[in-house]
Amino acid sequence: MSDHDHHDHSQPPLVAQDAGSQALAEALRSSFVIVKIAMVALVVIIFAAGFFTVGPQEKAVILRFGKPQGEGQKMLLGAGLHWSLPYPIEEVIRIPITEIQKVSSTVGWFLTTPEMELAGTEPPAGPSLNPQIDGYVVTADRNIIHTRATVSYHIDDPRTAIFNFASGTNQQFNLGGVSNAVQNAVNNALILTAARFNVDDILTRDIAGFQDAVSQRVSELAEREHLGVAIDQVQVQSVAPRQLKDVFAQVTTARQNRDKLINDALSEQNRIASQAGAQAASITNAAESARTRYVTAIESDATAFTELLPKYTGNPNLFAQLELAKAMTQILTNVQDKIFLPQRADGKPRELRLQLNREPPQPKSAANP
Amino acid sequence: MKKNLITIVIAAVLVVIFALLLFTFQVRQSEVAVLTTFGKPAANNIDQPNLYFKWPWPIQQVYRFDQRVQNFEDKYSENLTSDNTMLLTSVYVGWRISDAKEFFPKFAGGSVEAAQRQLETMLRSAKAAVIGKHNLSDFVNADTKQLKLESIEDEIKAAVQGELASQNYGISIEFLGVKKLGLPESVTQPVFDRMKSERTVLISEAQFKGEAEATKIKSAAERQAADVIANAQADATRIEGAGVAEAAKTLSVFQQNPELAIFQLQLQALKSSLNQKSTLIFDERTPPFSLFQNLPANSK
Repeated sequence: MSDHDHHDHSQPPLVAQDAGSQALAEALRSSFVIVKIAMVALVVIIFAAGFFTVGPQEKAVILRFGKPQGEGQKMLLGAGLHWSLPYPIEEVIRIPITEIQKVSSTVGWFLTTPEMELAGTEPPAGPSLNPQIDGYVVTADRNIIHTRATVSYHIDDPRTAIFNFASGTNQQFNLGGVSNAVQNAVNNALILTAARFNVDDILTRDIAGFQDAVSQRVSELAEREHLGVAIDQVQVQSVAPRQLKDVFAQVTTARQNRDKLINDALSEQNRIASQAGAQAASITNAAESARTRYVTAIESDATAFTELLPKYTGNPNLFAQLELAKAMTQILTNVQDKIFLPQRADGKPRELRLQLNREPPQPKSAANP
Repeated sequence: MKKNLITIVIAAVLVVIFALLLFTFQVRQSEVAVLTTFGKPAANNIDQPNLYFKWPWPIQQVYRFDQRVQNFEDKYSENLTSDNTMLLTSVYVGWRISDAKEFFPKFAGGSVEAAQRQLETMLRSAKAAVIGKHNLSDFVNADTKQLKLESIEDEIKAAVQGELASQNYGISIEFLGVKKLGLPESVTQPVFDRMKSERTVLISEAQFKGEAEATKIKSAAERQAADVIANAQADATRIEGAGVAEAAKTLSVFQQNPELAIFQLQLQALKSSLNQKSTLIFDERTPPFSLFQNLPANSK
């Protein structure tokens, strides 16, 4: 540009002639400035366009020439501001994903709606189950029951879980594919586990065992099918078919009654045993004290005997008379009725009649004169 | 000069971008690509994500396929087991395009739907063949050794895989499992009837068992109590016997003078027998009332 300017000044006669071309040059000069500014702006825009934000309910993955950047969990970019090179070098894909994923089984439960679930009501039960509408599982003892499971899982290997399972036929990336695979693993686990459990174990006796078995099967399948997810929790709910609800409830009641009868019998058993124990203790205690009493009495007799013996041997008759007289004093004090019956003058023995247990004299009345 | 430089740079950038668009292509993580040269597929599938070189159209052309695992579920369909039970089964299949250069000439435009239609046909015959070889007890059984549901899955998978391999469809089965297992609707009602009668048996069983068990427990308790008391009584007899034996040792003391001993005992017996509420009848010969007898004698 400056060359041109200098040239123009060295040839003044051309100046007037070239007024038009000068204006053109002027215009060119300013347009080049605009282009320059535009180019700088473009570079800035391209650079700035590389910034992107990730929301709390999603993760992002940067693909460089189609290949995910970062290994393992580092592949997933969390909420915040990030930057990538412009397309087609790098490409940002967003995946709707929360920390914990949840999926429920689709087989094994009768047809119901979320509204019915909330209200706690059930659709009316027909005499049979249409397999196209109502789901159920067949147990080992060939009973039909309803069961369903909800699985919580998290993404363990994003490369597998996100890029290895198609969700539909489009080329979008989300967890639809792997969620579908987990769902089928749960469905399969319910069918296979129910097939080896008896109905009473699933419904009452071993609810936890059934749930554990389902959970184990789901984890096994997740590993075997390389789903890239880790199973956190499996919750299983099982019920008897609506058609047989009453009769199943009756079994439960009958069993509860049985248990109550047995428990009552057991407490009765305890009562009888402790009563018998107490009785036995009192019998042996009584014997012990009788024994002590007997031995002590004999011993005190012996002591008395030893003390009396010298006095007795001195004058046996007098001693006996004295002792008897002492005893009689005591006896006569205690005895209630004392009857003295002197000998008849003629020396004949008297006749004495005693009425034992005689009835009390009846009061005289008009009815019984 | 400056103007030329900028022009050259801009031109160069444009040329590079244009060349890149013409001569390269990208393969994403989930994709597999087949490069054809004048319509003839290359020997290798391009299944690793990266930037690749190609000659521009019409020399070379890129066909892309989804190499992710596709989920396919067949219809809930009836099959007879070997013991003539009608079973309803549905399986889910995780399949993927394993060999894109074999896959895309066989299915129009590399259509996943077309492949799944083919898969469904294969599954139908594989299921019929495998289920027909097994008894119902292989499908549901409390004995895990006799339950063959997993091997049934494996057999169906093997049958479909064999078919796919022999036809060289470029499809591989990643996993296959039973999704639904059921009985025809007409069978469910008899099953319910049977279940009901089983429950009735259980109800009466629980009732009788409870009563029987309770009676058993109570009678056992009573028998035990009787035992305990009998033992206690035996103990009591033994204790009392021991007391007698112990007392016998003191008998030697009384042997010094049996007369006194007997007198002492008699006296005691007299005292304790005539304790209270007794009536004593006596005449003048009984001491101390013998005194009455002697008095008149003196007055005569």
